[in-house]
Amino acid sequence: MQIVQVLAYGILLGGIYALLASGVTLIFGVLDVVNVAQGAFLVFSALFTWQIWDMFGMEPLLLIPVMGAMMGIIGWAIYRGMLIRVAPQGPGMTVLLMFGVALTMEGILNLAFGNKFKSVTPAYFTESLKLGEIVLPYPQLISGVLAIVVLGAIYAYLRFSWAGRALRASSQNRDGAALVGISHKKAAGFAFAIGAATAGVGGVLLAIMYPIFPATHYEWIARLLGVVVLGGFGSIPGAIIAALLLGTMESFASTFVPQWAPLFFYGTILLILVFRPQGIMGSKTREDVA
Amino acid sequence: MSESTVLTMDKVEAGYGGGLVLQGLSLELAKGTITCIVGPNGAGKSTVLRVISGLLKPSSGTVTLGSEAIGGKAPADILRLGIAQVPQSGALFPDMSVHENVMLGGYPIRRERALLKSRIAMVEEMMPIVKERAHDKAGNLSGGQRRMVEISRALILDPSLVLMDEPSLGLDPKSVAKVAAVIRNMASEGRTVLLVEQNVRLGMNLATHGVVMEQGTVRLTGDAAGIADNPEVASMYLGKAIEK
Ligand SMILES: Nc1ncnc2c1ncn2[C@@H]1O[C@H](COP(=O)(O)OP(=O)(O)OP(=O)(O)O)[C@@H](O)[C@H]1O
Ligand SMILES: [Mg+2]
Repeated sequence: MQIVQVLAYGILLGGIYALLASGVTLIFGVLDVVNVAQGAFLVFSALFTWQIWDMFGMEPLLLIPVMGAMMGIIGWAIYRGMLIRVAPQGPGMTVLLMFGVALTMEGILNLAFGNKFKSVTPAYFTESLKLGEIVLPYPQLISGVLAIVVLGAIYAYLRFSWAGRALRASSQNRDGAALVGISHKKAAGFAFAIGAATAGVGGVLLAIMYPIFPATHYEWIARLLGVVVLGGFGSIPGAIIAALLLGTMESFASTFVPQWAPLFFYGTILLILVFRPQGIMGSKTREDVA
Repeated sequence: MSESTVLTMDKVEAGYGGGLVLQGLSLELAKGTITCIVGPNGAGKSTVLRVISGLLKPSSGTVTLGSEAIGGKAPADILRLGIAQVPQSGALFPDMSVHENVMLGGYPIRRERALLKSRIAMVEEMMPIVKERAHDKAGNLSGGQRRMVEISRALILDPSLVLMDEPSLGLDPKSVAKVAAVIRNMASEGRTVLLVEQNVRLGMNLATHGVVMEQGTVRLTGDAAGIADNPEVASMYLGKAIEK
């Protein structure tokens, strides 16, 4: 029974990783930018959630659309204001820029919230769903399920809307997209906004699960990069599979060999980069066709 | 400039960051004509098309469509003015279905659903592969099949000027004949076609006008038959006379 419990827990965790890593991989797919500030976006949103919850005592989950929209707008502004200028200088420069953004956000959060743990503790914080012998804490259960729902909604939107089609087109073939009238800048701004919005949503989910303080963004970006590298940069299905895999592995590791758990992500990054740099779903047809 | 001139390029210079690829190129296209550009590899033929469609901004000179200067405009704006391009290769979205690829050709008219639907139906009728392989990923088609889909996609917007870079590339003889018929049909409907073709015999047979390019400039222009018979073309570019 413990196995089922650990597995369920891993899938819920994987759902959250999947949502956040999809944001990173989506941005990379369209812009060729590794958004190392995704962890900072996430913590930014989580601490904002804490602030509003602390002030008004409202149900934190209601903040999901608010924080999603807020981070979406911030992301879009970062793209239009800074990234668009640095992008022509290539991935090396944009990664430095986004690292700078992450450090700046961390600094602002340190000033605003101090370097201490904050916890959002709604009424269900310590309660669990009991199914026979399986015990799933509500914060984890709710967060995991909502992450999967939001991810599903984003996926459907990208799949079936014109905006989503334009975004995918721009990511698969920038010149080809330009030839059918899709502006790369618009698609890129939109991709960055959605990518950042996943961190906005994720921040709320994070806030009800774990205590947060500004510097935790390093831990998160390491995990997310692990997921994205394993899944293959730019592939959303890859990120989802990798997230479920790593979430489950982490869940098992932290139950049975807790001291090894953090190593899984870093170990994955190293092994994958050395032995299969395109990840599990990285596409090879792209060079061939585009 | 005559009454029926659709597009004029005047002393256009353009490059990719290194040296200039187009070095003062001038060109005129009349309505309803098929003009074929020939020239050695690297002469800048594809670059001419890229400048017209807006993928590459000219560094000097003018490109005029009707009476409107279009040099340096964004590809989306040029597309809206009725110029569609089928590039030399790799225009498709490899991870999307054939249907979705063709549909994306109608991106600028996406809100006019009925119109888009009828255009897709029109193209499906003209190019059966669009329907037969509708749900296959474009990246899984053969090179020639991709070519047909690329051409289909460019026709969705009912363009008045069609730019085609080596339309026969990788096509079997039957498909070449089909594409040639499509091109002739476009011209007879009053569209203007500018194509680049390595197969000079095919190109000049199809075209009404010919342009010979060399090192980023126009070396010769004239009616297609004249270009095909020109001994200078044969020696300079083909290394031998063109077989008829
Ligand atoms: N994307 C690019 N970046 C840099 N240089 C380029 C690019 N595309 C073309 N060039 C250069 O511009 C010149 C002309 O290229 P272009 O593709 O226009 O030639 P072409 O006449 O179409 O040749 P081909 O018959 O081989 O298709 C070449 O010297 C090429 O190296
Ligand atoms: Mg070419």
